[in-house]
Amino acid sequence: MSGSLPAAPAAQTLEERMARPSEFRAACAEELGRGGRFCGGYASTATGAPSWTALFAVGAMTHALRTVAIEGSVPSIVGLSGAAGWDEREAHDLHGLDFAGHEPLRPLVEHPAAPADWTVPVLGEGPYDVAVGPIHAGVIESGHFRFHVVGERILLIDPRLFHKHRGLERAAEGSRPEEGMAFAARACGACAVANSVAYAQACEAALDLVVDPDARRARTVLLELERLYNHLNDISAICAGVGFAPGTMAFAALKERAMRLNQELSGHRFLFGSIALGGSALEIDRPATERARAALRDLATDTALAWRELRFSASVQARLGGVGQLAPEDAIDLGAVGPSARATGIRLDTRTASPALAYPADFAPVIPEDPTGDVAARLEMRGLELPATFELLDSLLAEPLSPAPLRKSVEGTPERTSPQFVSEGVPSTDASPSRGVARVESPRGESVCVVEVVDGRIARLHLRTASYANWPALAHAATESLLPDFPLINKSFELCYACVDR
Amino acid sequence: MFVLLRHLDRVRREVALPRRQGANSLAVRHVDAGSCNACEHELTATAGPHYDLQRFGIDIVASPRHADVLLVTGPVTTRMRDALLAAYEAMPEPRRVAALGDCALGCGVLALATELAEPLEELLPVDIRIPGCPPSPEAIALALTESPAGE
Repeated sequence: MSGSLPAAPAAQTLEERMARPSEFRAACAEELGRGGRFCGGYASTATGAPSWTALFAVGAMTHALRTVAIEGSVPSIVGLSGAAGWDEREAHDLHGLDFAGHEPLRPLVEHPAAPADWTVPVLGEGPYDVAVGPIHAGVIESGHFRFHVVGERILLIDPRLFHKHRGLERAAEGSRPEEGMAFAARACGACAVANSVAYAQACEAALDLVVDPDARRARTVLLELERLYNHLNDISAICAGVGFAPGTMAFAALKERAMRLNQELSGHRFLFGSIALGGSALEIDRPATERARAALRDLATDTALAWRELRFSASVQARLGGVGQLAPEDAIDLGAVGPSARATGIRLDTRTASPALAYPADFAPVIPEDPTGDVAARLEMRGLELPATFELLDSLLAEPLSPAPLRKSVEGTPERTSPQFVSEGVPSTDASPSRGVARVESPRGESVCVVEVVDGRIARLHLRTASYANWPALAHAATESLLPDFPLINKSFELCYACVDR
Repeated sequence: MFVLLRHLDRVRREVALPRRQGANSLAVRHVDAGSCNACEHELTATAGPHYDLQRFGIDIVASPRHADVLLVTGPVTTRMRDALLAAYEAMPEPRRVAALGDCALGCGVLALATELAEPLEELLPVDIRIPGCPPSPEAIALALTESPAGE
């Protein structure tokens, strides 16, 4: 397959529509009603006047619905999709947008001192607050949680993240697209590949670049290597959450072997620097692919043995069932993605909607036999997905990988649909930036990247990672649980703080 | 359980880590002041079976009051500045500060300047510098085992 030119490389497509502010809500309701899934919102001034864009995923299509702010305000859609809650709060804090109908619009990125200014008031007999963080007891990322509890039972959690906010999106503005990659990659160490691929694909869509099959295969290999070490890490973390040291250490050892393999294949344990815009920076010759496949087969065997042992460890399994349960309808409303969503029985996996990657046509997401949406189901998701990842890697590495050159698409080729601007009589605000949106399945679920390019420079970069999508679902899943179970519930989602905070 | 323990036993034999010498100990309190999480992954790995820092008496502790070393990752965001200083203030003397990773060392930091506080070197007296993006678990292990802390 190497060397041959793509006849018509498919890619995710973007369909853009403008809506009057008065019609925006109805248009969003229509998108949701037709099966569209809210997958992010972003404010932008790249077109001149401040605008707000809601993104809806429809298979491999992304529908963008844009409205212009009137006196700094746009209609809220949080009543239509709870998943938009954090996006609207963030746009208020960082871009000064108001959302009519989102009451109260509590701060998310900003950190006012008085709890009354940012927490949900909890009234009644006997509730009290437990404040934890931003510094936690182990080697854990920084973030603050305010638990409203009665006795030991959690009534509500107000997570206060963004302690690690570095302003990466703003910092990337003004850089050339190839320089902007660093910001997407360093948003989060553990999702660096997924975020980099999403960024690269968004830029390629905006700039009309074509990626050849070898580069697409290289990206898919890197994405699965990232999934491999993360899933092994997460299983280890869940074992730590129930105090099962042999499991923690055995899976930490397996993860270390995966990290060493990453180092051998890409020159970096976290695969940093292996994604290039418009091509691939990864070169693996045949002896190296064969060594990697052999190492992966060994790792697969040992992982399967360790996993089976964990399944048969009654004392571990007894701690997991019914803890931190997430109902499928809540997962849908709150916009949960990835293994956390699949653990509730939702067959949502962006790998099935990634024509620009090398996943086989018959790739199907797995879900647990009994998708209970609790810690047990989320742990099982990792164990269920690992064999598929090993299988994918084995077949993807059957041929060597060579670095692919950058190519511009030829005018008139059907490989990319240019964004269609379906104006409904609304005057376009713009200087028309080139836009690209890409969605990529990271170990934690879908990572969405939006890029707006004006005059060859990044005018807007927006990264909405799987952790961002899943945090509200995590907070919801932990309600009614016991406070001492929160670390375990937290580990069963194993979300990043870094790529939420950015 | 037996399979897991046998697996770990095999790892231990293959890695063949040297035994510790002497009887020193070092209590480390980690604070993430805005990292990308890669430094945290590698720091966690140093406690894993392939590196096993505990054999040198080095341990990650839950409270700064138990700590000899404050190990800082990330470029110090405005929102982590006060918590970081509070953790340092809570430590008993003598105490040491270690900068883990390039961001904490102020090298090649990607961020909006207005979202960052002063660099770590200006906030606290840094004694141990561990460069890398992220530093490998070997580099972290080496830096901590050779550190002058606990003297």
